[in-house]
Amino acid sequence: MRRRALVGLLVCLLVAGFYPAAATGQQPVKLTFWSWRVEDKWAYDKIIQAFQQRNPGIQVEFVPFKATEYNTILSSALTAGKGPDIIHLRAYGGLETFAAPGYIAQLDFDKLPELKTFSRQLLDGARGRKDGKLYGVPFATQSLVIYYNKKIFAQNNLSVPKTWDEFLTVLKTLKDHGVLPLANGGKEGWTLEVMSGVVAPNFYGGTAFYDAVTRGQTSFKDTAYTNALAKMLDLRPYMHPNFMGVDYTTMQQQFINEQAAMFIGGSWEIGFFKAQNKDLDFDIFVAPPSKAGTTPWVSSYNDGNYGVNAKTPYMDAALKFIQFTATREFGQMFTDMLAQLSAVPGVEVRDPILKRVQELSRKSTPYIMLVGFRWQAPTGSTLLQSALQGMMAGSKTPEQVGDEVTKGLSAWFEPFQGR
Amino acid sequence: MNRPMSGRVAAQAVLLLNAFLVLAPMVIMGLSAFKSTREIFQNPFGLPGVWRWENFARVWVEAKFALYFRNSILVTIASIVIVMILGAMAGYALGRFRFGGNDLLYLYFLSGLMLPIRLGIIPLFILMRNLHLLDTLWALILTYAASGLPSAVFILTGFFRTLPADLDSAARIDGAGEWLIFQRIMVPLVRPALVIVAVYNLIPIWNDFFFPLVFIQTDRLKTLPLGMTTFFGQYSTDWGALFAGLTLAALPVVTLYALLSQQFIRGLTAGAVKG
Amino acid sequence: MRTSRRMWLVFFLGPATVVFAAFITYPILSALAFSMYAWEGIGRRGFIGLANFARLFATFPYSGLLVNAFWHNVLVFVVTMLIQNVTALGLAVLLARSPWGTRGYRVVFFLPVMLSLVIVGFLWALFLNPIFGLVNKFLTLAHAGALARPWLGDASTSLLTLIVVNAWRWLGFPTIVFLAGINAVPEEYVEAARIDGAGEWDVIRRIIFPLLAPAVTIIVLLTFIGSFNWFELPYIMQGVSGAPNRATDVLSLLFYRTAFGEVDTGLQDIGIGSAIAVLMFALLLTVSAVGAVLLRRREVELA
Repeated sequence: MRRRALVGLLVCLLVAGFYPAAATGQQPVKLTFWSWRVEDKWAYDKIIQAFQQRNPGIQVEFVPFKATEYNTILSSALTAGKGPDIIHLRAYGGLETFAAPGYIAQLDFDKLPELKTFSRQLLDGARGRKDGKLYGVPFATQSLVIYYNKKIFAQNNLSVPKTWDEFLTVLKTLKDHGVLPLANGGKEGWTLEVMSGVVAPNFYGGTAFYDAVTRGQTSFKDTAYTNALAKMLDLRPYMHPNFMGVDYTTMQQQFINEQAAMFIGGSWEIGFFKAQNKDLDFDIFVAPPSKAGTTPWVSSYNDGNYGVNAKTPYMDAALKFIQFTATREFGQMFTDMLAQLSAVPGVEVRDPILKRVQELSRKSTPYIMLVGFRWQAPTGSTLLQSALQGMMAGSKTPEQVGDEVTKGLSAWFEPFQGR
Repeated sequence: MNRPMSGRVAAQAVLLLNAFLVLAPMVIMGLSAFKSTREIFQNPFGLPGVWRWENFARVWVEAKFALYFRNSILVTIASIVIVMILGAMAGYALGRFRFGGNDLLYLYFLSGLMLPIRLGIIPLFILMRNLHLLDTLWALILTYAASGLPSAVFILTGFFRTLPADLDSAARIDGAGEWLIFQRIMVPLVRPALVIVAVYNLIPIWNDFFFPLVFIQTDRLKTLPLGMTTFFGQYSTDWGALFAGLTLAALPVVTLYALLSQQFIRGLTAGAVKG
Repeated sequence: MRTSRRMWLVFFLGPATVVFAAFITYPILSALAFSMYAWEGIGRRGFIGLANFARLFATFPYSGLLVNAFWHNVLVFVVTMLIQNVTALGLAVLLARSPWGTRGYRVVFFLPVMLSLVIVGFLWALFLNPIFGLVNKFLTLAHAGALARPWLGDASTSLLTLIVVNAWRWLGFPTIVFLAGINAVPEEYVEAARIDGAGEWDVIRRIIFPLLAPAVTIIVLLTFIGSFNWFELPYIMQGVSGAPNRATDVLSLLFYRTAFGEVDTGLQDIGIGSAIAVLMFALLLTVSAVGAVLLRRREVELA
């Protein structure tokens, strides 16, 4: 008898477990929305509320993943014929991976007339490379900058450096005064790629080099590029002595808790820094060039797009949400809350720091590996990130980094073959 | 035993040191679970100034630990029940019946003890996809059940063979049906072996991370180990919550172990220790 | 009667056979076949023979990554043998003399084996954080601050650190196995040796170690299989790309990210992934088979 009861209980448990949300009657459509922006969840939740008030029949759940795991998880899910209804997609090659096999619903100006007003440059980041079709609504442009703690600068009588040498002097002064100058670390390779995106363009000559290398007229073995990478080594003495073990979260923590004076990173941090420490008095500058008077280059790119899973059972609802992300209203909320530059045209930038990012990004250059070399495996980013870890740890020279990246890319980038 | 005193003291010192190295990290984990992040950074080794139970409440509710626990319990119980039922049936047939191909079939099951099933993950992934089982708990249950079968068949066949031969023949003469003999006479006699099968499979299934990582994408279907990774991504700056999550995740296993340590030690080393 | 007997056999054996065949045998066998086809995403295209293997061995960066990861697995095996299993043997010898508290020590030593590697990995990742973590803080407190370093971020220490964390989790397992092996040594052998005037060390060396051979073989075998299947700990603590600069990359990580999607783009290459799986499979099976033969031979010698 007792066993009967036990078996019965077990069966109930199992059934209850497998059908937790048995759909009954006219319930609202529930969309899931995957993203790699863990830090932005609070803002997305609010934006989604605004959307839901206008569209009572649709509910959206924002599910963020750790950035370094996101692509692999998304990739498995989509090949499984599953995945979320709304997908936060990367741009360029990161979009192509999912668009080319048909996992992402195609968009066009008929479905989304709002997109007509978007800048062509941004839309290029949302197009498939092979078919040139649109697959997403661009959401933000990001620029790579240097954050500094104004209070620490003032305490040490420092001002924003105008040249690379001044920059090094600032770093040295801070170190001599017992302050950790740079929060940056090397445990996660992508943070080093970001650092190269800040430091290197001024020394390799910005867009001219980008054009040459993407056309195959030169390669990453070019001394212009390797010498530019070598400049990163100048910064090494000013990072934590154990910086190679410092991960992204620890970097952020150190700058937020005012334990480090500067943080080399992307414009997406502004909102997060402010939310985490209201008293943090910080601003940004861009990597200074070698000579005073030249306008410095700023690496920037289309950060990504909102796309729709081609297999979603709720295509109409998902499109409605995507459409919402292309409106001025969304763009304004996005910019105000997250302090990132929305891709929607005509959005007013109110945050003073973000305004400065916008001004400084006038002379922008494509973030080189992300925009130009993520089309096939091994990607420029994969290769560069690992090699930079070697370089910053002292086991590789900048020339070896250039060699390795060029050799790796030659697997699919024909102009590099035989170089 | 007249060993020198100094030798015994040295032995105790080594054993105590090792016990300390095992326990200290776990105690610190438990204590840190009650601290604020700031306190963990500033006073990592001491007792918490205030015992912050709210760390646990936050993890349990906000970080969906309740859900992850439910999924892990469901998957583990269902897989083990299937392994026990199918394993007992197969072990009974292999251990008590003579038929052509008996040895061959037995060896076939045993081959599973050597095959690293993880290396078949790509075909398994595609198979589950075609069966529309990806991103369901069934994908996990079936995989665990299948990989638990070889050891179950091995253990149970051996047990059934040791039972006296006239047991079932007597019952058969009395006119009892095969199923009745199996269920009423045989299964109760191999109960100790079933316990070994359950214990042997329990911990590896409960702790598995690889298959959920590949099969499960939806947050509310994640098992505890996979859910932990989501949780660590989302709470990466809140060390109090992180330690609370770790403690909470370790608690059921540690409690169970405290109650049944001998069974677990014997069960988990069963494959490596003879007799 | 005969048919009904056959029916019952099918009834008893059928379910287990079907489940085992579908979810173990079929995937393993197809994994072998998959490595010889061309792939687009998870769509299988034409038969291409050994071309995937050629690509894996001959094209940069796969060739380098494969060799790099393989040697890391070898290192994991060797170092685990040296630090984990030798320590375990020492502890087992101590415990075999039944000192005060043996039962308690057994229970405590085995405790971490129960914990999920995910928990163990995250816990030690927090402890090993170079700035906030307590390992470096402890070293500073113990006036050994010079030893503090980025354990997981420094290419020269990261893999070793992972191996030590792994040993922390596993140590109790070989200890218990060795202890059972020593306890199984017949008491009269030991007594006889003692009467012959053998010292403590002589007893261990001449009597216990030789009779422990089967237990040692099993532990070597399990350590080998474990080392070459190593995945959870490096994944949790260092990420799927084997940071820093591939210093903790192992075959399973390489296999996983090649088959299921690279970190920055999610690109998949099932062909290369399957080829890696086949190589690992061949290696594991060969070693397991050799190990099983050795084991049987040693047991025969003992009998």
